[in-house]
Amino acid sequence: MLTCKEASFLASKKLDGKLAWREHLGLYLHISLCSLCRRYLQDVKKLRSIMRAAGKYDQLLLPESVRLSAQSRERIQQALRNVLQKMEQ
Amino acid sequence: MTHKLSTPDQWLDLHGDILYRYAFARVRVPEIAEDLVQETLLGALKANAGYAGEASERTWLIGILKHKIIDHFRKASREKTQGFADQFSEDANNDYFDRQGGWQIDLSSWSKPDVSLEQEQFIDILQHCIDRLPTKMAQLFMLRELDGMASEDICKMMSISTLNNFWVILSRARLQLRHCLDLKWFN
Repeated sequence: MLTCKEASFLASKKLDGKLAWREHLGLYLHISLCSLCRRYLQDVKKLRSIMRAAGKYDQLLLPESVRLSAQSRERIQQALRNVLQKMEQ
Repeated sequence: MTHKLSTPDQWLDLHGDILYRYAFARVRVPEIAEDLVQETLLGALKANAGYAGEASERTWLIGILKHKIIDHFRKASREKTQGFADQFSEDANNDYFDRQGGWQIDLSSWSKPDVSLEQEQFIDILQHCIDRLPTKMAQLFMLRELDGMASEDICKMMSISTLNNFWVILSRARLQLRHCLDLKWFN
């Protein structure tokens, strides 16, 4: 019988679709008996679906307050202008 | 259908913050994200002639940014990745498990109905929890989960020697994140 520590590793590995049949069997035997690890597997699956949804809608991923600082904005604008000027010459 | 391009000096105002957020979500370091925005816009300037106008301007810029992010990770991993995976050996999980390998934390279930990414408070907490992961671990987690990038590709890009190391790091990231969200949001 796997320990919960081992089962948690396999639960995570399962999300990457790489369980060997022996690992698969071990994990399912374990979670059929262990409600904590059953929960853990559910939770990491939920975490995955939250992240995937975030990846699809980038505007939802970070709060609007995360933005370029005035300083870096100025620096980037200047760099752009420099290149634009060179291109015009 | 072709879209009209705005002039390059408008790009920063129109797309700067979106590009910054896209980069920051993945690299997790403000200074690097800023540099990537700059490189993207300069790259776009040079490639401007090649823009076919099939995608929206923003999609086009994000496409360039994606390549810049990959280049960044490749370069950074050549410089200093050795030993990164070693920090996350089996023993590193001891704060979550007892000696017999049983759970040592309270695994209360995530009972709140549906979490929504439209809830600003949840996004803040999620970001807070991701920021508490070691930077490299967070980067790896985001590439895998956000973009669904293949494990093998991430290993190659970030010079992680074996897939097993990769799974160990990801497993650790999930343990930590789940626990942090549990404490800050679900309880």
